[in-house]
This record gives sequence, C-alpha cells and structure tokens, in this order.
Amino acid sequence: MSVPAIALTDVHKSFGKAQIIRGVDLSIAPRERHAIIGPNGAGKSTLFNLITGRFAPTSGTIKLHGEEIQGRPPYEINRRGLSRSFQITNIFPKMSVFENVRCALLWPMGYRYSFWHMVSGQSELNEAADGILERINLSARRDLPAGVLSYAEQRALEIGITIAGGANVIMLDEPTAGMSHSEADYMVDLIRQVTEGKTLIMVEHDMGVVFNLADRISVLVYGEIIASDRPDAVRANPKVQEAYLGAALEAAH
Amino acid sequence: MTIARTTEGQARTIASAGQWRVMLPWIVALVLLLAMPFIFRSSSTITIMNQMAITIVFALSYNMLLGQGGMLSFGHAVYMGLGGFFCVHLMKSLPIPLPFLPLFGGFFGLLFAIIIGAFSTRRAGTVFAMISLGVGELVAACSIIIVAFFGGEEGVKADRTKVPEFFGVNFASQTEVYYLIAVWTFLAALAMYLFTRTPAGRIANAVRDNEERAEFLGYSQRYVRLISFCAAGFFAGIAGALFAVNFEILTAENLNLQTSGAILLVTFLGGVGFFIGPIIGAIVFTLLQSVLSLQTEIWQLYVGVLFLATVMFFPFGLTGLLAMHHTAWREGKLGVLVIPYLKMLLAGGIGILAAACFLEIMFHVRHAAVGDHAMRLFGQTFDSHTVWPWLLTGGAALIGFALVKRLAPEVKAAWDEANTPNAVRRGGKP
Repeated sequence: MSVPAIALTDVHKSFGKAQIIRGVDLSIAPRERHAIIGPNGAGKSTLFNLITGRFAPTSGTIKLHGEEIQGRPPYEINRRGLSRSFQITNIFPKMSVFENVRCALLWPMGYRYSFWHMVSGQSELNEAADGILERINLSARRDLPAGVLSYAEQRALEIGITIAGGANVIMLDEPTAGMSHSEADYMVDLIRQVTEGKTLIMVEHDMGVVFNLADRISVLVYGEIIASDRPDAVRANPKVQEAYLGAALEAAH
Repeated sequence: MTIARTTEGQARTIASAGQWRVMLPWIVALVLLLAMPFIFRSSSTITIMNQMAITIVFALSYNMLLGQGGMLSFGHAVYMGLGGFFCVHLMKSLPIPLPFLPLFGGFFGLLFAIIIGAFSTRRAGTVFAMISLGVGELVAACSIIIVAFFGGEEGVKADRTKVPEFFGVNFASQTEVYYLIAVWTFLAALAMYLFTRTPAGRIANAVRDNEERAEFLGYSQRYVRLISFCAAGFFAGIAGALFAVNFEILTAENLNLQTSGAILLVTFLGGVGFFIGPIIGAIVFTLLQSVLSLQTEIWQLYVGVLFLATVMFFPFGLTGLLAMHHTAWREGKLGVLVIPYLKMLLAGGIGILAAACFLEIMFHVRHAAVGDHAMRLFGQTFDSHTVWPWLLTGGAALIGFALVKRLAPEVKAAWDEANTPNAVRRGGKP
C-alpha cells in the first residue's frame, strides 16, 4: 500500500481544560476525495487547523506523505504540498483578482521573495496566473479589486488561489457555505475539475455536496471519529445515524 | 496567419505604449530635477529643494513600511539618523568621495534594520508599532549618553569640502550639492518604485492585506515584513547620508521621536496608498514648513491642524483627493466641479485665514514683550490688546466656516453629478 497523503495518529488538542480533539486516527490515501462531517462544535475546523499548521496538536503525530508536520508553521506545510481554503472568505481584498492569483504563484514558481525580478516581465508567471483565472472563470474580473466581487466569485477566487500553487493535497473548509443551490452546484463542478488527480479533504455541511463529491467520509463527533468509510457504508452505519446523520439524511431525500 | 501576426504586432504596440506610460513620469521627473536650479536660482530656494529631496527619499522609504507593508512605525528616524551619523563620521575620517557616501549611509541603515527588524517584525499591528516606539526612545536616549559617537547636544559636524574632490567637484556650492542629492533622490525613488514591482514587493502587499492567507500560501509573514523593513532601513540610511552631505551636521534631533512622527505625518498627508503620495507629501510639507516658519512662530500648530483635517476628511491624503477625481475626469465632467469648488475655496479661505489671524493675535498677546501692543498682520498695524481685532477675526472665521457648512450640500450635489456617467455605454454595462 502506498504512503497515505495524510495520516493522523492519536491526535489530541486541548485549549486549556477543554478537550476539542480527543484521539483522532485518520488515514487518507493519495487522490482520495475525503469529506469530514459532523455536528456543530464537533471539532472539524480545529482538526483542519491542526493539519494545516494553524495550531500545534497537544499530542499525536500528523504526517503529510509520510513526513511529520505537526507543529510546523503554515507556510512550511504549504511548501510541502498542502493548500487550504477557509470557511470565511480569505483573500487579498485590496489587490486585483489577477494579483491575488499571481501572489499565490510566486513561491511555487520559484520567485520566492526575489527583489531582482520584475513581475510584469515574467511571461511564464503571468500566463500561469491567467490560466488559473480561466479555470475558475474569473478572467472577465481580472483587474477588479478582489473585495468588490460577489460572494460566489470570491469563493471561486479562494479556490483559485488555493489550487494555484499546484499543491497535491487540497483542503477546503465548507466551500459551499452560504451559497444558493445553483451556486453550490457550480462550485461542486469547479472543485471536481480543479482537484482532478489530487487528494481532496473537505469539511462540508451540505450532505448533497458531500455524497456527490466524496469517495470516503469521516464522521467527527465530540472530537472523535466514529466512522470513516465509503458514503453508502457511512449512511448505513447505525452509530452515525444515531449521532448525527439521521435527521440530515432525511432532509436530503 | 496574417491575423495572428497583426494581433501580435498590436500586442507589442500596446505593451510598448504601456511601458511608455510607466516611463514617462520618470523621464519628466528627471528632466525637472535637473532643470530646477535653472528655474529657481536663489540659494535659499535651492536649500529648500535640497531639504525637499531628502524628505522625499525619507518619506518614500517610510511608505515601504506603512503603505506597502502595513507596518506603522514610530521610530523610522532611527535608520535615517544612524545612517547620517555614520556618514558624518566617515566624512570626517575617510577619503570617500561624496557621491558614494549615500551608499554607505544605506548600508548602515540596512545593518541596523536587520538587527532591529530581526525581532520587531515578528508581528504587525500594535506590537510592531510599540516596539518601534520603544526602539526609537532607546536610540534617542543612547544619542545623549554615547557622546563620543553622537556628540551630545551639539551633535557631530563635518566639512564636506575636506573630502577628496570628485572629478574636480568639491561640493562647495549649494548647486553642486543639489545635483548630488537630485541624482540620488531619483535613483532611490526609482529603486523603491521598482521594488514594488518585484515578487518581494507584491508579497509585501499581500501580507499587508491578509497576513494569515499569505502564510497559508507558503509565505512567512515575518520574513516578508523583515525584507520590507530592511529595504526601508536601507533607503532611510540613504536619506540620512544626503542629510549629512547637505547640512554637514547631525544632532540627536535627527533620530528622535519628533522626526519619526513628522515623517509619518508627511507620508500620511501625501497619501499612503499611492507610490507618489509621499513625494507630494514631502513637497507640500517642506514648502509649508519653510514658508510658514518664516511667517509665524506657531507654524507647527497649523501643520497639526492640517494633519488632523487630512486624517478626518481625506484619509487617503492629498494624492487620494486628486485620485478621487479620476472618474469625473474620465467622464469629462470636471467642469461641473469648478464653480462649487471655487465658492468652497473662497469660504474656506476666509474661515481659515481669519481663524489663523485670531490665533496669531492670541499668540501676540501672550508672547510679545510687555508693553508691546502693536501688531502687524497682512500689512495692517493695530493694537492687539483692543477688542476689535478679536471680534473682527473671530467673526470672520465663524462666518467663513458657516458658509463652508452652507455650501457643503452644493459641492456634494456637484460631486454626485460629476461622477454619474453621461450615458450607458455600448454593451449595456454602465
């Protein structure tokens, strides 16, 4: 069996006395599309933040392609090929849409913090940024400040800067939150298309989106994973139904 | 094939047109800088221009922190001052030709920026601002304690004509010094502009806008800030060297909090959101300073009021004020604004002048020699201890400001009118 893209072993996280993550073991294979679901306050976002380096776990190990990353700063984890989006839109509002994407490309394309290149003269860089804009259908908004885009467009831009660097593990935190049905459908297509051949991990509340996209689903309840399986198995799992899914599933049908 | 070639040709034309549009202001600026001493020949004007140029470099370097990096510093004078002090000592002790001195100033500015930036750029926001304030105080205190280097209260002096001549130029005249400063100002401004176009400059903007997001895209916010900080220190050091060349003396005043505060004011006045902002701020501020300080002893009060007014009414500075008119200009409707603006200017002018006279009378009463009741204002001599001048100026100020308030809706209406597009354009988009 190949090295998992992400492997968590006995991960704990407490804030003061409050135990938020209470011993999570999770293994996600390369190119798998994995959804993490669970009721509010289950610790989904915290788990995301532990994996992406926003917080260090209290104990346990987190491996990205077999290398331990727990406690490393976010930028180092990102440079090892993991990129995330945020639940609350998190872009560079005063910079142009194009500039947002181009900024996301500077490090991965090897320019790093160079002060001896002129960005406007780097045709390879600018073409790559335009290419990303085309993939997320924002070419027409290229030169607008990102802050004036519509909500759905900002979300698409967020996906764009998340995938721009070519990371092979993409983590999306509620990518369709607050969207209308048609916007969410569009977003699912976009996600499917831009994460082709990559490992995708997402937190999502919309069960339609989850069952539509995910190869496997983990259910997180009170800081523990109570099930991690294929969608139909999760759906049939009595523990899951009891804890969380029943009501939501009925609502989805 | 033909089509492809045409578009390619067009693209090239557009690209070169774009390049021209970027280069043109720089060429104009260079020509203007070089021509200035032929337009203004008096030595006092050249002195003012030298001071202006030094302030431009200093303000631009400050804006690398505030405008482009999102770092509010209360201690930027430290890097200019230290660069300047080292240069004065170099001028005294080593035979370095003057035109190369700013490089050394920059080097020392950079050195101290690396040392201090190593711990101060860890966080932005309040933490950074507080550390800069602390470091500023620390260095200012050192300047009084370490007399051997900082020269105590008298400061350190040097004679620029004692260093070896540079191709027969010994920089004894103000004009020669002007050209040295002008060339360095141009080079430094160009370098700072080009910095904004590099990956490091772009990421500095990204970190300013959203440091967390940048961190999750592979950029260390701390390192990005450190790079901007060091670059700003380098250019502040160059400004310090130019100061040393121009004034041949540096005192503790060059590194204290007042100077740090002044450069914040200059930059903000010009507009932090634009590259040209600090340049405009430096020009306006230096003019105000040199003209007002000759006319009145309370010029700092007026500058303070101007700063307050800028912060409250034009948070994007003078450049922002100009840039606001871009839409109206594009629509060709600037004319709509002329009459309301003139009215406003007249009313505001009356109010401001009258209020200034009122303040001057107050100052005269408090500070003139005992028994000296005669005061001259705008060619009029009167007794400042009678009630009429107070009533007259106070009343005129009130009327002026009341008129401003009265006229505000008219200006607002004209503004709205000027910013409404004439017609819906082709393609249905407004």
